[in-house]
Amino acid sequence: MTLFLEQIVNGLVLGGIYALIAVGYTMVYGVIQLINFAHGEIFMFGAYFAFLCLAVLKFPLWLAVLASILLCALMGVVIDLIAYRPLRNAPRLSALITAIGISLILQNLARMIWGAEPRRDLANAKSAFLSQTVIIPGGAQLSYLDLSIIILAILLMVGLNRLISLTRIGKAMRACAQDKMAASLMGIDTNRVIGATFAIGSALGAVAGIMVGMRETIEPTMGYYKGVAAFAAAVLGGIGNITGAMLGGVVLGIAEVLGAGYISSGYRVAISYILMILVIVFRPAGLLGRASAKRA
Amino acid sequence: MISMSSILSSRSGLILFFLCLVPLATAYLDQGDYLLRICSTAYLYMLLALGLNVVTGFTGLLDLGYVGFYLIGGYTAGLLMARLGWSYWAALPVAAIHGGLWGLLRGAPTLRLTGDYFAIVTFGFSELLFRIVKNEEWLIGGPNGFVNDIPAPTLFGYELWQYWQQYYHILILLILTLLVVYRLHNSRIGRAWQAISQDEEAAQTMGINLHEYKSLAFAISAAIGAIGGAFFAQFQVNISAGVFEFWESILILCMIVLGGIGTLKGALIGAAILGSLGEVLRISLSWMRLPADSRYLIFGAILVMMMRFRPAGILRSTQKSP
Repeated sequence: MTLFLEQIVNGLVLGGIYALIAVGYTMVYGVIQLINFAHGEIFMFGAYFAFLCLAVLKFPLWLAVLASILLCALMGVVIDLIAYRPLRNAPRLSALITAIGISLILQNLARMIWGAEPRRDLANAKSAFLSQTVIIPGGAQLSYLDLSIIILAILLMVGLNRLISLTRIGKAMRACAQDKMAASLMGIDTNRVIGATFAIGSALGAVAGIMVGMRETIEPTMGYYKGVAAFAAAVLGGIGNITGAMLGGVVLGIAEVLGAGYISSGYRVAISYILMILVIVFRPAGLLGRASAKRA
Repeated sequence: MISMSSILSSRSGLILFFLCLVPLATAYLDQGDYLLRICSTAYLYMLLALGLNVVTGFTGLLDLGYVGFYLIGGYTAGLLMARLGWSYWAALPVAAIHGGLWGLLRGAPTLRLTGDYFAIVTFGFSELLFRIVKNEEWLIGGPNGFVNDIPAPTLFGYELWQYWQQYYHILILLILTLLVVYRLHNSRIGRAWQAISQDEEAAQTMGINLHEYKSLAFAISAAIGAIGGAFFAQFQVNISAGVFEFWESILILCMIVLGGIGTLKGALIGAAILGSLGEVLRISLSWMRLPADSRYLIFGAILVMMMRFRPAGILRSTQKSP
């Protein structure tokens, strides 16, 4: 029972991380209907930027985290500007292929700069405070790091939700997601809104990258594996639906940990693919998506 | 829209004639066998590119998991030959049919959905297959999907294992595939696919049965991939799961993007360039002390640049959408 509880907690932590990445996929899809394959790599760069600031530039932890978030937001905006914006009116296939190309470039760039071997620098750099554990009711152990990941993920999700529903830019994003043409006729600068979408999604991805870096290791392929799983979470929740992405992340995180624990650890990564295909076969709109999946 | 008459014209005949002579020339070179191997690999990629082109080029649906059929063909033929002692000539068609069936099954759930969902399912499907051959030792018989000692095909009592024999073997498979795809492309079916790729709803209005024609494309494309896999299995003698990773799908996609999506000539030229460039890069990168995987950085740059500046392929400068 304790083991089961521990796995649920683990799944929640992983789910929080997936949710943070998944909203980046789903927000961009909502606004420009593009599966941004490069998003997983931005998440990976988030971890590497933090590592760079911490280990090489000797920044304090809080400053390294902040710098990494800003750099990733900038990176997302720049990628949109140079790669996706010129293709805004091109066929959908072109933008999708470009996204795959960007993902390949970034992943291999990271491998060339930092090498392929997993790094533990971020995990070692976390303060002694975060390494402490607390026993939660039921007997499961929970490290302060995991606890703070869960709390931070919830705070960020609530913040994002407020941002989308209450602020001016959030309203503009929703307008763009509904109908870009109409939004631009109403005087909304759609390119700015799309840029903001990329910035916010990438910043959240960076936070997730640092979390994973502290919990596990940093490596160039982390963006690919975690990115695919997070994307599956976005599909699970209904792509384009932000609340759905959060829910999908948590469901997938728990499913993955339980599947790896009770079925086979060799299929840990595959669980996200299986869930993704099942959702597409039986409920293409996702858990919270609209009934009709036929989107142009 | 594409003038493919050149394939059967005298110029193509001349090219073919020279391709047939290559093994005679390499027989006098020190590195002749190595050269033949590179050529055979390039032909194999040309075959795969033709197969991928049927779905992604003709019907306009992005297939991100084409390597899945390559894997199915490779393991079907490899296991039948190495474990059950089947002849290659029996294993090859079985592998092709097996691949085609999975092509139908894989496409079925996405028939009612749009292109994005198709891309997602194709990706998940091939990754899942990769995990299965990697993990299921009872099925494959070795760890990490390792199948060894796949025998060479025999013809009239001769074992076809030498490089020049393999060269002609894949060249013949390539030409047969090209003929089939070419004939399809210029038929009623090919025109239906073209209509689907341009506008699904308009095509349906004109009386084209979308499900039927898309399924046909899925099956043919998958069968060609499986044929490539079956050849690859006996060509390599030993196969393992690592060959069939996601990036291989992207490499083949990169080939048809480079040559121009939707054209046969483009698929062939793109695959010939990247199929041999891959080998050259692998060697030159290690000279520059860079990991061999960084060649994917170049493939990524090709994808981005082509989409931005030459969406119709390197051959054509016209701004025609893929």
